[in-house]
Amino acid sequence: MKRESELVGLCIEAACESRESVEKWRMQRRSLDRLPSPVADALLRRLIARRLLYPSLLEVFKHSAEEVDVRDNGSVDEEWMAYLGAFRHLRYLNLADCHRITTSALWPITGMTTLQELDLSRCFKVNDAGISHLLSVPNLEKLRISETGVTAKGVKLLASLQNLSLLDLGGLPVDDVSLTSLQVLKRLQYIDLWGSKISNKGAAVLNMFPKLTHLNLAWTSVTKLPTLSSLEFLDMSNCTIDSILEDDKSPLVKLIFSGATFLNEAGAFSYANTNLVSFLDVAHTSLHKFFFLSKMKVIEHLNLSSCMMGDDSVEMVACIGGNLKSLNLSGTRVSSAGLGILAGHVPNLEILSLSKTPVDDTGISFISMMPSLKDVDLSNTNIKGFLHQGKVDVDSSLSLMALQNLKLERLNLEHTQVRDEALYPLSSLLELRYLSLKSASLADVSLYYLSSIPKLTNLSVCDAVLTNYGIDIFKAPETLKLLDLRGCWLLTEDSILSFCRHHPQVEVLHELGTVYPFNQNGPNHSSPSRSTSRTVQMAKKKDPVPVLPYLADQRLKYSRDELLALQFASFPLASSTVDTWDVVKDCFYLVVSAGSQKQRVLSVSGIPSQPQFTSISTRLMIPVMCKILCFYYQPDRGQAANGRKGSNDTIIII
Amino acid sequence: MKKEDTVKLISAEGFEFVVDKEAAMVSQTIHNMLTSPGSFAERQHGEVTFPEISTTILEKICQYFYWHLQFASGKETEFPIEPELTLELMMAANYLHT
Repeated sequence: MKRESELVGLCIEAACESRESVEKWRMQRRSLDRLPSPVADALLRRLIARRLLYPSLLEVFKHSAEEVDVRDNGSVDEEWMAYLGAFRHLRYLNLADCHRITTSALWPITGMTTLQELDLSRCFKVNDAGISHLLSVPNLEKLRISETGVTAKGVKLLASLQNLSLLDLGGLPVDDVSLTSLQVLKRLQYIDLWGSKISNKGAAVLNMFPKLTHLNLAWTSVTKLPTLSSLEFLDMSNCTIDSILEDDKSPLVKLIFSGATFLNEAGAFSYANTNLVSFLDVAHTSLHKFFFLSKMKVIEHLNLSSCMMGDDSVEMVACIGGNLKSLNLSGTRVSSAGLGILAGHVPNLEILSLSKTPVDDTGISFISMMPSLKDVDLSNTNIKGFLHQGKVDVDSSLSLMALQNLKLERLNLEHTQVRDEALYPLSSLLELRYLSLKSASLADVSLYYLSSIPKLTNLSVCDAVLTNYGIDIFKAPETLKLLDLRGCWLLTEDSILSFCRHHPQVEVLHELGTVYPFNQNGPNHSSPSRSTSRTVQMAKKKDPVPVLPYLADQRLKYSRDELLALQFASFPLASSTVDTWDVVKDCFYLVVSAGSQKQRVLSVSGIPSQPQFTSISTRLMIPVMCKILCFYYQPDRGQAANGRKGSNDTIIII
Repeated sequence: MKKEDTVKLISAEGFEFVVDKEAAMVSQTIHNMLTSPGSFAERQHGEVTFPEISTTILEKICQYFYWHLQFASGKETEFPIEPELTLELMMAANYLHT
């Protein structure tokens, strides 16, 4: 699509400013009819995006527009279709997810000779009768009717649309008989049959489509494929695969077998022509021999997530690593030693996912030897940020330092044991744009290090112990667009709002309300719930998601000053207006909720049900609570201190 | 202002707008007319006639040329467009590749 020139763009913006501005130009008939179609289409797109389009306004475009994309619009109904039916030059119509489109709503587009492309995906009220309306659209080339109410009977009717080159029948109960009746469609290049009732018998007629390049058979019972001499794309995810493509003719480029079961693993790929494969997805399969990789010399994207890949088979990947651009090893047994084998063999690797692998800090130095890396996912790994484990002295070098050799743009360190001081090397990652951190051992110091990353646009620091003071002094990089602070339970609404005022370009996510840039007239308040007994119940159920709102709500009772006092727990509290027992109780709930988030069983023993603490000064209790929290989040030290017994965590407060 | 540095843009009604060549060059179409090899009348006389563009619109276009130059040099201001003009201006801008 050609981008419209700048002034045209400004005009479109001005024309779609408001309902009033639309009214000012919609009567200019002569101009509207003469609008060049790319401009008319762009204007229409903008009107749709701004939700300013209504049926009778469509009428003014009937001589100019060629493309109409109203997907996912709940108001599109028969009236809209009546106007669209009058469009003289309509070539492309997208009605995907327009739930009010019924079979009869399709009546106006019957006989449209200009229409070439129609998308009715997920218009579930369209049934077989709707298909019969389409049969008089003679030039239809691309038709998408996935997840509609069309049955096998309706699919059979499509055989008369001789010009079809693309047919998306995903999620329809297409059976072998109806597929066989489609074999007259010799121009078909693209067939999507995911979730259909096709069996091997139906799949056998697929070779009647001489131009077939794209085939999706995911979630079907097909186990064998005939010779498909032009097939480039094949998706058989979640199928049981006996043998695929036993000839070597298909010029396969992209293969997706995620979640598939291979009956004959050794022979699965042995005959197929995989010399041209550039994309292979075998995630969540039981494959454990990877010799088939050796033929894929030009592969660029490889997904091995949750495979039986270990350090012993990494060499197979290293052999074909020359062109590799993205590699997903998440959920595999590949460790730092495996990365050592890989390093030096993947000069073009840009995206690497090592999430949920046993990779530790020694692996980072190997990662730094992959020169083109831009996106690294190290979440849920054993990374601590220090090279010498156990020793916490100043001399132990920071492992993340090695990343400074790379031009990283994205880095994910969620659910690792990286702590504040170990983040320091990140401040000199000059190209970093996206950074995700999620750990309860992070505090304000982290923000200080992160504020000097020059190009950072999206920063998420979830579940951290950030304080209002930390947010106040946080100098957000000028490029920052999104700051995700969800789960940072110490923050108050006031401080988040004040941050937003000082950084109007930043969208902030937090349980106390999401603040979008340029729109500060009121964040969504989560309704404060004082039902503390419910909090405990939720926590006991180990239900991590619903706990968070309560977690945040607990603090709504305290004023800003009181929370400021909380944050400097070691200083004496200025005033003791806070009900001591309440503070203690709430802190305890925080511990319980945070614990359940980690899916650990917490028993609530050791907490007296009666408020016996009123005599103890707040000054004494708060540091105790904070200590418990801190210990809890540092497993190595906490283990001894907070009295873990077996698999159950018991926090005894006194 | 030397004559070589300016260009005369003539509207459908015959109104003449004399603008800096640099400004007029913001339009890819005018740029091509004035720089393409060969002896186009436009290039020789420094005059371009737009029989399709009305005076109001051409005036707005000329304003845009200057606004664009200012904007390019870092001055961030809004370029106001009256909703009544949007359609015609859109077409003219599309034609002029502005």
